[in-house]
Amino acid sequence: MCRNYIIFLFAILFLNACGNKKEVLYNFEGQFEKEKGGMLTDAMSGEPSNLISMIAGDSASSAISGNIFNKLIKYDKNLDLASEIAEKWIISNDQKTITFFLKKNLKWEDGYDLSSEDVLFTWKLITDDKTRTPYGSDYKLVEKAEAPDLYTFKVTYKKAYAPALDTWASLQILPKHILKDEDINNTFFSRKPIGSSYYKLSRWMNGEKLTLEASTSSVMGLPNINKLTSRFIPDTSSQFLELIADNIDLMNINPIQYARVIPSRPDLEKKLALYKELGNSYTYLGFNLNHTPFNDIKIRQAINYAIDKQEVIDGVLLGLGEPVASPYKPGTRWSNKELHPYPYNKDRAIQLLNEAGFIDTNHDGILEKNGKSFTFEILTNQNKQREMTAVLIQRRLKDVGIDVKIRVIEWASFVNQYIKTGDFDAVILGWSLSLDPDQYNIWHSSQQKPGQFNFIGYTNKEVDNLLEQGRTELNIDKREKIYHTFSKILLDESPVIYLYAGYGLMAISKRIKGIDSPAPPAGIAYNSYDWFIPSTLRRNEITE
Amino acid sequence: MLHYLIKRLLWMIPMLIGISLISFFIMHLAPGDITASESAFNPKASEESRQKLRALYNLDKPLITQYNLWLKRIIKLDFGNSFASHQRPVLWEIKDTKGNISKGMIQEALPITLMINLIGLLIIFSTSIFLGVISAVNQNRWPDRLITIIVFIGFAIPGFWLALLLMYWTGVTHSWLPISGLHSAGYEKMGHLAQYTDLFKHLILPVFISSLGGLASISLYVRNGMLDVLQQEFITTARAKGLSENKVIYGHALRNTLLPLITIIGLSIPGLIGGSVIGESIFAISGMGKLFFDAVLMRDFPVIMGILTIGSVLTLFGNLIADIGYAWADPRIRRGISN
Amino acid sequence: MKNLIHNPLAFSGLIIIAIVLFIALFAPWLSPYDPNYIDIHSILLPPSLIHFMGTDGLGRDVFSRMLDGSRISLLVGFVAVGIATIIGTFLGAIAGFYRGYIDSIIMRFVDIMLSIPTFFLILAVIAFLTPSIWNIMIVIGLTSWMGVTRLIRAEFLSLSNREYILAAKAMGARDMRLILKHLLPNSLTPIIVSSVLGIASAVLTESGLSFLGLGVQAPQSSWGNILTDGKEYIQFAWWLSLFPGLAILITVLGYNLLGEGLRDLLDPKNKN
Repeated sequence: MCRNYIIFLFAILFLNACGNKKEVLYNFEGQFEKEKGGMLTDAMSGEPSNLISMIAGDSASSAISGNIFNKLIKYDKNLDLASEIAEKWIISNDQKTITFFLKKNLKWEDGYDLSSEDVLFTWKLITDDKTRTPYGSDYKLVEKAEAPDLYTFKVTYKKAYAPALDTWASLQILPKHILKDEDINNTFFSRKPIGSSYYKLSRWMNGEKLTLEASTSSVMGLPNINKLTSRFIPDTSSQFLELIADNIDLMNINPIQYARVIPSRPDLEKKLALYKELGNSYTYLGFNLNHTPFNDIKIRQAINYAIDKQEVIDGVLLGLGEPVASPYKPGTRWSNKELHPYPYNKDRAIQLLNEAGFIDTNHDGILEKNGKSFTFEILTNQNKQREMTAVLIQRRLKDVGIDVKIRVIEWASFVNQYIKTGDFDAVILGWSLSLDPDQYNIWHSSQQKPGQFNFIGYTNKEVDNLLEQGRTELNIDKREKIYHTFSKILLDESPVIYLYAGYGLMAISKRIKGIDSPAPPAGIAYNSYDWFIPSTLRRNEITE
Repeated sequence: MLHYLIKRLLWMIPMLIGISLISFFIMHLAPGDITASESAFNPKASEESRQKLRALYNLDKPLITQYNLWLKRIIKLDFGNSFASHQRPVLWEIKDTKGNISKGMIQEALPITLMINLIGLLIIFSTSIFLGVISAVNQNRWPDRLITIIVFIGFAIPGFWLALLLMYWTGVTHSWLPISGLHSAGYEKMGHLAQYTDLFKHLILPVFISSLGGLASISLYVRNGMLDVLQQEFITTARAKGLSENKVIYGHALRNTLLPLITIIGLSIPGLIGGSVIGESIFAISGMGKLFFDAVLMRDFPVIMGILTIGSVLTLFGNLIADIGYAWADPRIRRGISN
Repeated sequence: MKNLIHNPLAFSGLIIIAIVLFIALFAPWLSPYDPNYIDIHSILLPPSLIHFMGTDGLGRDVFSRMLDGSRISLLVGFVAVGIATIIGTFLGAIAGFYRGYIDSIIMRFVDIMLSIPTFFLILAVIAFLTPSIWNIMIVIGLTSWMGVTRLIRAEFLSLSNREYILAAKAMGARDMRLILKHLLPNSLTPIIVSSVLGIASAVLTESGLSFLGLGVQAPQSSWGNILTDGKEYIQFAWWLSLFPGLAILITVLGYNLLGEGLRDLLDPKNKN
């Protein structure tokens, strides 16, 4: 028995010795010529569920399917609308009709022609009641969609709808010749897609990885990197170990890894390049405006003054974020440059609180009004950064005499038990910094029913009007004015307190070349098809 | 014997119904369903379409009705399809009209978890018997104490922490072993032998971590069992007959200690399946644990129910087989059953 | 007690537990800083004389958080085991005393609960109930009473054939009195042993739940969530994971050594 054991142990040691990889030394520095080929491996925390993005709805799915399918138009490097498979588009004088003109000679991966018939088919799918998509409502505003010839696609709205172009920049076009007889909700196509863009699906091992391969019939031209592999690794610590062991090339990292871990290790700095780009969302503290005392504008402004946003950014994000003063990406046209976040001003906060009737009468350090002390609860979901933000806010508000409790709740129960029922005082959550300025669903007073998104109960006639106007105005300058006014009212009234917009942080292996730095507004991935891996830097053991 | 078997099998039916009832109602304790997942909290998604989905999945019906519907399907061994947008079958593969095969989720995940845990069990038992015997023979001397401390440390160390330390040490600093996953890149292109070696290397850490926790209880069980047996009369008789100490210990005492271990295998199945959640998350292995955890977070009810049911069925059968094995190995009990 | 001193392993377990309990009881007085005090100017400092165990990503003193967390981790262990012991003893006593169909029903229920993978059950309930400290304690308690039930039932079954019990029955003693006065005190051994071992498991379960994001929630600290916070940086800020990891390891080890030692001591077979 004992002897067997020793033999077994030796066997393991022996195998280890054989498995010793030879340390390959790459020279990552220097100039490299663009060339095709190679494989980029990244890590994903979740596995895509479905590669038809109108059905899937999770970010992993759209990240993959975006490489496979085309859209009519897209956002370019500077977040302006640009052509993708439509070479141009025309808006009619009454602003109700948009006509897209498709490029000629477009092909699906299987050789069939891609035409306006496919676009029309995709529109029919997403507006079909039988399709299990949560995204149909925007497209149902189209009164009439038609494909007069193979290269023209025309949509007419009941009334002018300004966010229309944005919706066409997110709809991935599906092939009619394959899907016309299929049940879109339950078709094998979702796991074996035929697309038209840069890549095609090469292999999908459930729970393990998914590999895309450059598509030779791509209507966008051939990308430089031949293969993209996404490995599904749920735990971020394991992902990071894979990254520093050079088994994956790209990973989203957190501020501590970005600012402290990697810079402190010369061996990592040698092989990893760090990138940051403007994030896609902002984090806010939102009040339940139906609860006292948050219906009082002075209270909300006081809390806004009492929170030191820069401290939150320095503490939670190690400075890797920006304060925002409107729900739009800083630096884009929709963000009003004249607006500035409330500065940290404790005295002003106390003054406003006193004006609103809150005074510390019993000298316990907490303010009271009508004998009741000012106590409220901040709810947030399980998100490390939001939790830490809550703790910092708790301390700042204690300074001005407000007692804050924090409760962290798992997402599904958070939404169902608290958000939908309106059973909360304040929440820390995030909204995306949308590319189209329309935010009707979030701020319009009609959107307050359970399950709708104005769950904080914000009601303001003027804002309602602006939001309605903004939806029907296609003239971009007039639109800009509308949303600048809207942002100003929001900031003044402070129904939510903008806390920060964190940067997206990435570590990418230095074998990947051709990445723009600093990142343009659209983020570093906007030209990922143009990234390349010099053949001298490729991993030699991978022959897949 | 046959009578006993049939009785045991019949008992399983009410037990399974009990298990499914408990699982089903626990699952619906709190509000929240698939339509409230994080990605659905998107201003572009409307509440009407979510209601539509809810109706489609029967989530708007009373609980009892939902349970009845589920039970009716399960009797036909139909575990349904996942609520997730891929709608994969929960249990077993199905073929669509064009001959495309969608693999069942449990069908893919179960063998992986079973493989890791069966290898783990093998290691737990062989190591435990070895350690337990040494402990018993050296009762209360230093080898006994040392072994006790070592196996308890194995039990007490938080698995995910040790896993990460080992991944760092063997995977990053030394590149001896792969860090996560079950296959290397390029696995498909390897020869058969290389594939086995590759899989073996990927399995070393997960199996090690998964077996560490079970070592303590089994080796102590063997130790105490041995001590009991060594005090019994027949051992004294054997010694008196002049048998060598080795023969006494390995020939007589050990055999009698090992018999009850068979039943412990059956009892340890649910613990092993349940314990796989953490290991599979950290090593990025898509087994039952990870499947269950994802399903819980997504409120993917058919998958949760499927896993709980299959897990329980496995346990019940495991117990049954263990009992039969025990009876087969121990003639006294065999006689008891057939009477 | 005297015997315990002669068993070095059990004795060291006892010492460990005593120290940990002392720390937990007096945590607020021992801790040099407010465990939740954030200092963004001193984040991720390695251990030093000012911060014995360094600071975390928000500049909080890890030593103070560890002390604070010891209370939560142990509270989870004690309350969870308390619940399990009460339920387990109650059901076990009834089953063992009344036998017959009551026994059958209870034991089938035990079998059902034992067939569902326990950790799955805990996960499902916690995820659905939102992970507060109390929910975690209750759920761990509600899913770990089956072992106690079996032990108590077996003990009762064997005890109730003893002569003094039969005599008491014959004299017409009431059921409650029999159970409380005669049977239960004589079954204390397995209860104590399984409780001590149960606490060890509960502490580990909490840390596992923390790893999955379902343990005690921030800003409340527990050893499990300090360790989980630190796991991202094991190769960089090693102090964030080393201290909570060791604390869990040593505490659980202590309970196990004590539990096994007690089992040995109280086991009548080992009397010689």
